[in-house]
Amino acid sequence: MIIRQDLCVGCGRCQPFCPVGAISFAGLKSTVDQVTCLECGTCLRVAICPVDAIEEHPQVYEFPRAMRKFFSDPTSTHEATGIQGRGTEESKTNDATGRVGPDEVGIAIEVGRPTLGMTLVDVQKISRALARNGITEIEACNPIHSMYANPQTGDLREDMLNERVLSAIIEIAVPFEKARLVLRTAKEVAKEVDGVFVLDIFSTLMPNLTIQPRILKLLEEEGLPWRPNAKINMGLGRATD
Amino acid sequence: MTHSLHREGTRDSLLHDYCVFIYPARGFNYKGSQARVRRNVEILYGVGPDNMCETTLRKNLYSEVTPEQVLDSISKGTEGTRVFSTFSSREKIKELLIGLKQADQGISIMVSGLIDQVREIAAEVGLNPHTINLSLGIHGNTKRLPPADIRQFTTMCGHAVVSPRLVRDAIRKVKRGKTSCWQASVDLARPCACGIHNPHRSVELLRTTVPTYTVTRW
Repeated sequence: MIIRQDLCVGCGRCQPFCPVGAISFAGLKSTVDQVTCLECGTCLRVAICPVDAIEEHPQVYEFPRAMRKFFSDPTSTHEATGIQGRGTEESKTNDATGRVGPDEVGIAIEVGRPTLGMTLVDVQKISRALARNGITEIEACNPIHSMYANPQTGDLREDMLNERVLSAIIEIAVPFEKARLVLRTAKEVAKEVDGVFVLDIFSTLMPNLTIQPRILKLLEEEGLPWRPNAKINMGLGRATD
Repeated sequence: MTHSLHREGTRDSLLHDYCVFIYPARGFNYKGSQARVRRNVEILYGVGPDNMCETTLRKNLYSEVTPEQVLDSISKGTEGTRVFSTFSSREKIKELLIGLKQADQGISIMVSGLIDQVREIAAEVGLNPHTINLSLGIHGNTKRLPPADIRQFTTMCGHAVVSPRLVRDAIRKVKRGKTSCWQASVDLARPCACGIHNPHRSVELLRTTVPTYTVTRW
């Protein structure tokens, strides 16, 4: 994002809206630190500027800066990079798609969340750790998948690595037996990254919203407590196409 | 996206915080989904969400968009419109699920909330949930995170576009009497492009959080 200095009146109203604190005063006017800005577009979307001085960066749809927008602006589609969305429908439509069956689990590593964002160098640390441990079941319809230069090593495309994103999701679907390895890898690589990620797991339910006991046992054994609130697919979807 | 999964807060606070998604599945029930999504949204409006947004207009409940405009945009929009909403009331969630079950449009419905509460509601309504997504917490360099009381607000937008500084700004304005808890909460909901920032919960959080802060700049 940019703030046109010929229009800005220096009211500072836009500054608190920036999720990463990229807007500050330079003299009497607000300005955007282009290194910090993730191109999420929040400052523009909330229409807080009284003189319409906030505009998109001229290169926001050009690679590699476009990476920032497409991984940080929740309203954007990945047209410039050919990458689709941050994540997939995963558990949300599992009743209709059957993407993850009773003997499988889905695991998501949501890098940069909450709040901090993450460099793609950090994302690569995670993707390399997964590859080192033989975890290559990265969801193919996820934008992270198309960022891989070498799926066997987990290396991402080098021309992307200087970029930062507000969030990106590494989605993995594995047989239950392999879930422990994925979780352990995530715990290990957490010690290496400078940013943060949230970890989550999804699986099909037993009757009466009963979580599979082996899932709970696995999480207890791995020292991964789960939050009391969860996201639950209510089982009302079905395939009709 | 798992952006309603990691909402933080005390159990008492989360008792009044539910998200409901209406979500067509690409390649499985996208075709002609406009009419079925619209029917579900009509039921949603009938119950009365605390906030909502759909992917056609991307306008939340407080952006002066009318239900007619939203429904019209769904009917005339491309197939696959997704709808996100929040509720504070357990009774409303139950009423909504009864309506959605009876309407039986075949579109996936997600509910985010306390597991035991959703389990009870599902049993009362006669639904058999299919899949659960569990949050296993924050990992990595967590020292860099804003404090937990601020994260109660910011994690209501899972895409992280409600900034910690905006929360502090809201606290400061309420503390100085420049705005009300309600107006500050509506302002906090503005950046959330999915309409799942719950301003009713935010009001309660502000009422408990504001007294614990000292305003340093007048």
